[in-house]
Amino acid sequence: MPFKRKSKPRQAGYAFQYSPNDSPVHRLAAGWKLALCGVLGALAVAARVPWALGVLLAVNLAYYFAAGLRPTDLWRDIRIFVIQMAIILVLYVVKFGLAEGLWPGIRTGVQILLLFLPGAVFLRTTRGSQMMQSLKRIMPERLSFVLFTSLRFVPFFAREFREIAMAQRLRGAPIAPRQLWNPVHWKDLFNCLMIPLMVRALKTAREAALSAEARGFGGMK
Amino acid sequence: MSFVKRFTLQEAICLGFCASLIVITRGGLRLHLNVPGHAMFFTMFFLILGRGCVPRLGAATLVGLVAGLLCTLLGMGKGGPLIILKFVIPGLIVDCAGIIYSGFPESYVACGIIGAIASASRFLTIVIVEWVIGMDWSVILQHAAISSSFGVLFGAIGSLMCPPIVRRLKASGLITRDP
Repeated sequence: MPFKRKSKPRQAGYAFQYSPNDSPVHRLAAGWKLALCGVLGALAVAARVPWALGVLLAVNLAYYFAAGLRPTDLWRDIRIFVIQMAIILVLYVVKFGLAEGLWPGIRTGVQILLLFLPGAVFLRTTRGSQMMQSLKRIMPERLSFVLFTSLRFVPFFAREFREIAMAQRLRGAPIAPRQLWNPVHWKDLFNCLMIPLMVRALKTAREAALSAEARGFGGMK
Repeated sequence: MSFVKRFTLQEAICLGFCASLIVITRGGLRLHLNVPGHAMFFTMFFLILGRGCVPRLGAATLVGLVAGLLCTLLGMGKGGPLIILKFVIPGLIVDCAGIIYSGFPESYVACGIIGAIASASRFLTIVIVEWVIGMDWSVILQHAAISSSFGVLFGAIGSLMCPPIVRRLKASGLITRDP
């Protein structure tokens, strides 16, 4: 009997990255998710008493897990806010003392978390193509052309970036990640990597503009 | 959004590419560094470089807007769609500086000052969010200062890398000398 690999849904390795899944939240239109972001964010600002914050936290967590996301994803998304919450809590306790500063510190930290969590769900559950469809409807044609040309060229410039960096390192430029911890080498990074990259960007912009104009994309100066 | 009309197609695409490079360097840094505020290093560099390459009002704002939208589309950065503001506000500050002193991308002093001020816009964002939530003013100011200080430092250093590059690109005739 041939060995069959179980196919697990691929989990994004970084915070706020799209997680492919077939959940009700994934199927929701991008516009509705943005509207939910606005509503939940406004409620996070308005909630001041413990019960309201508790209910809102439960709603946000239900929304998050309804998207088929795991607790590990949640930790990746909120760990930056946990650090912020700790700083705020320490500042409140230092200023008002433990008895008076503890609750306002916790409340503010939770409010900040609740303000940003719906945005994390939006990014986790909305494909770039879905966002583009929504953006196309509301953005002027010229801006959307620039945006999608830039998006189209991200992999191209990432490749150029790697190739130029490798060529310069082979020529002895001190721009390896380990060497860049030393600020002395930052100037080399710009001279050896950024100038060739910008020259490439300027030439590619000229070619892309000529190509677009030749295809009849007009209306610009 | 009609401000995009003020640029030629080539200029607009070039500014879009500066935004692409912001996104690429942010992505690259996310893999290697965990220092708070480090992303401001390349963000400020490309915002000012964009203004140096296209010396028109609104150039840095367009770079910021496209970079923010690209980050949202690619799922980078915290805060969801609010990340757009993190790029647009520094872009606006760079453009405002360009009104006062149009040749600033070639001056070390001006770039350093403008880079630091534009990076400090994170301070403003934190203050607004926490004021809306209803935090105590002294705590807001202390927290904003702690959170934005590294960003200001990295932003100022990144901006200081701009003048020699703008000068070299101008000397080689790749970017226009006349605004």
